Amino acid sequence: MATPIYVLGGYQTDFGRNWNKENKHIVAMMREAVEGGLAATGIEAREIETGHVGNFAAELYAMQGHLGAFLVDTDPALSGLPTARHEAACASGSIAILAASAEIEAGRYDLAMVVGVEQMKTVDPARGGDFLGTAAWYEREAKGVEFPFPKLFGKLGDEYDKRFGLKDEHLARISAVNYSNAKRNPLAQTRSWYMTEDHAMSTDKFNTVIGGRIKISDCSQVTDGAASLFLASEKAAAAYARKRSIKLDRLPRLLGWGHRTAPIEFSTKVAESKDNPYVLPHTRQAIVDAFRRAGVRDVWGVQGIETHDCFTTSEYMAIDHFGLTRPGESWRAVEEGVIEIGGKMPINPSGGLIGCGHPVGATGTRQVLDAYKQVTGQAGDYQVDGARRFACLNIGGSGTTSCVFVVGYEG
Amino acid sequence: MIDIKKVVVLGANGTMGAGSGEVFAAGGCEVVFLARSADKAAEGVATAQNMAKSARVADRISVGSYDADLERVCAEADLIFEALAEDLALKKTFFERVDKVRRPESIVATVSSGLSIAAMAEGRSETFKRNFLGMHLFNPPHVIVGTEVIPHTGTDPALVAASVRLLEERFGRVAIVCDDRPAFAGNRVGFKVLNEVAALAETHGPAFVDYLIGPYTGRAMPPLATIDLVGWDVHKAIVDNVYANTRDEAHAQFKMPKFMDNLIGQGHLGNKTPAKGGFFRRVKDGKQTTLFALDPATGHYVESRAHPVQPIPFVEEIRALHRVGRYREAMRVFATASGAEADLARRVVFGYVSYALNRVGDDEVVRQPRDVDLIMGFGFNWAPPTVLVDIVGVAEIRKAIEKYGLPLPKVLAAAKPGEPMFREKFVNVGRFFSA
Repeated sequence: MATPIYVLGGYQTDFGRNWNKENKHIVAMMREAVEGGLAATGIEAREIETGHVGNFAAELYAMQGHLGAFLVDTDPALSGLPTARHEAACASGSIAILAASAEIEAGRYDLAMVVGVEQMKTVDPARGGDFLGTAAWYEREAKGVEFPFPKLFGKLGDEYDKRFGLKDEHLARISAVNYSNAKRNPLAQTRSWYMTEDHAMSTDKFNTVIGGRIKISDCSQVTDGAASLFLASEKAAAAYARKRSIKLDRLPRLLGWGHRTAPIEFSTKVAESKDNPYVLPHTRQAIVDAFRRAGVRDVWGVQGIETHDCFTTSEYMAIDHFGLTRPGESWRAVEEGVIEIGGKMPINPSGGLIGCGHPVGATGTRQVLDAYKQVTGQAGDYQVDGARRFACLNIGGSGTTSCVFVVGYEG
Repeated sequence: MIDIKKVVVLGANGTMGAGSGEVFAAGGCEVVFLARSADKAAEGVATAQNMAKSARVADRISVGSYDADLERVCAEADLIFEALAEDLALKKTFFERVDKVRRPESIVATVSSGLSIAAMAEGRSETFKRNFLGMHLFNPPHVIVGTEVIPHTGTDPALVAASVRLLEERFGRVAIVCDDRPAFAGNRVGFKVLNEVAALAETHGPAFVDYLIGPYTGRAMPPLATIDLVGWDVHKAIVDNVYANTRDEAHAQFKMPKFMDNLIGQGHLGNKTPAKGGFFRRVKDGKQTTLFALDPATGHYVESRAHPVQPIPFVEEIRALHRVGRYREAMRVFATASGAEADLARRVVFGYVSYALNRVGDDEVVRQPRDVDLIMGFGFNWAPPTVLVDIVGVAEIRKAIEKYGLPLPKVLAAAKPGEPMFREKFVNVGRFFSA
């Protein structure tokens, strides 16, 4: 990237929490993310110059809009801070990061705070599933459909099956790996949940089919959560480093980004890509864009990936779209253990959306925060040894808005 | 790292047996569930499946009966996990049988919630004693990850450290080591508070004290609702044991309230006796549920709706602050509110801090504040004592402890104002303060 954007850290709430049971307003989640981020980085609230909130549907889940204003409410020193809220379905957190980094690149501000947030356990799963349907073309793809998104991502699996063949065993393995990784992450939603490949392969009262080939074990869960992230210009990062007596080059950067949006309706996307080697070519292009901007030749230039596994099929898609295998051969990476912690290219050491959790508007921010933790050696028990660069893929809708970041160090 | 492949669970049809067995099976062990009959053990497997929300967890579990299988399966086990009823004589009978057949290096553990580990080991072989310890999981084990490891004086110290690592790394627990004292650490501290609140219910009524010492004070569930959930019989067993076998500064607070003893005699055990009830009783009429609260003076139940608790301004102010995540300000209101109700609540909550941190020391139940913090946070879902110290302030809490005539714990006397005592970086402390 032409203008360096430094990542100074942030904070993630415990994705296992149920904030409705705690009788908390969504601003409480934002406040914890802000206060936690300030404590983790040692940044003072008055130093922040601009704020961006990523959120999908607080109007539906929490009967509350105008979340940029709530960001200001989290600390008296933030009064007057310019803020905005960004929405791009499950990619909302990434869009907030893009907006914040664009402001820094433009020279408007030097220190930005991003907060991704979603409170989802306010309604029953069926109603929540209907709300999520607004991330698709609601009238055509979701209205009157019970759990539309499992069905849409089931269709993604069907498309793979049609073009290349797809075995449920590989999806089951993806699920088991994410759950297993989540057990190492003390902030992951499913850290004490049970999951094995055998269970993921079974279909019974404990693992019912939600839509098409998608069963409960293939799905990310309904999650409450928020994550904060601090981004800085070179000037602000240099001051930050000086204050802590560390060298500027020890601070990681957003090395590259990619952002592409496909037509919203899934059938349009599939029709558009029928002669393309990639099922979701815009997602592939976002990855290529990010690698190019980061000066990374291909996926083997990063040491790990945090990807969008809202369902096992989306991670299956990400494997070949990132270039771990040739198109349609994601199963090879699954079978060979490439994607596991300790493998050649660990995917979702945090547990990903399936294991760590998927508070929709927070996911993109959480991914970049996890990438920051990895490249600074702060990921604890899910640390990938020797991680210098990490890639993140965050997807809104049925492969509609794709956002990619490469986080780490040059060279 | 010790390697556990084969586990035998004694008492596998009970909640703790089945739940602990589920934890071991989920961790990849081959587990044998034993009960009075194989059919009873199979009931435990069904419980484990429901806890795991998976039928497949049973793939690693086989069943048997004490009479037909105990000797054979214990001879092959790496870990023999006892989850029988809280009856020392009964446990000792089984340990005698186990001792005769177990391999010298196998581990024997009890899930007892507070009986003497040393007494259980008495009379056993040297290798049994060396390899015997308490592994106290909390109910329900698939949800509550806090776990106590309790050695007796003869336990191999290497086994203690290895057990903590095993429980944390393989079975996803948050494990602490505590001494072999009545009720160990979590229940000793937790039931002191619960019993104190139960005694207050006699004067103030259950609904009022559950409101006053409610979730806003740093707990997932109100105290008396917790006792109803645990069961009055279990509550009595724990507090009677502590009362009979300890003489600490809160001895009187472990005395089982007389009205509870009387009602237990009439079959009131809490939620497990829904027709009789406990502090509360829920009466279902079709889809409608009506809540009744006990009047301890008469033993009768009164409809809660007809006798609502009058909101107390400082409690409502704190709840409103918690609701928007302003926990520090909220607990400052708690620390400074005036009136008899505020004093009553503070006496209990700061009494909890004082009592918990007084259990830390060389001759006490745990060695470091972190241990009591983790077990209260992850075993009880209560704000760890040092979280309350941090949020209220060292100087303020010392002052309050003095005001209420509570003993000042050494670790609190030595604490430096402004320096956080709670240092678990992956724990969101906000989770402990419900509105």
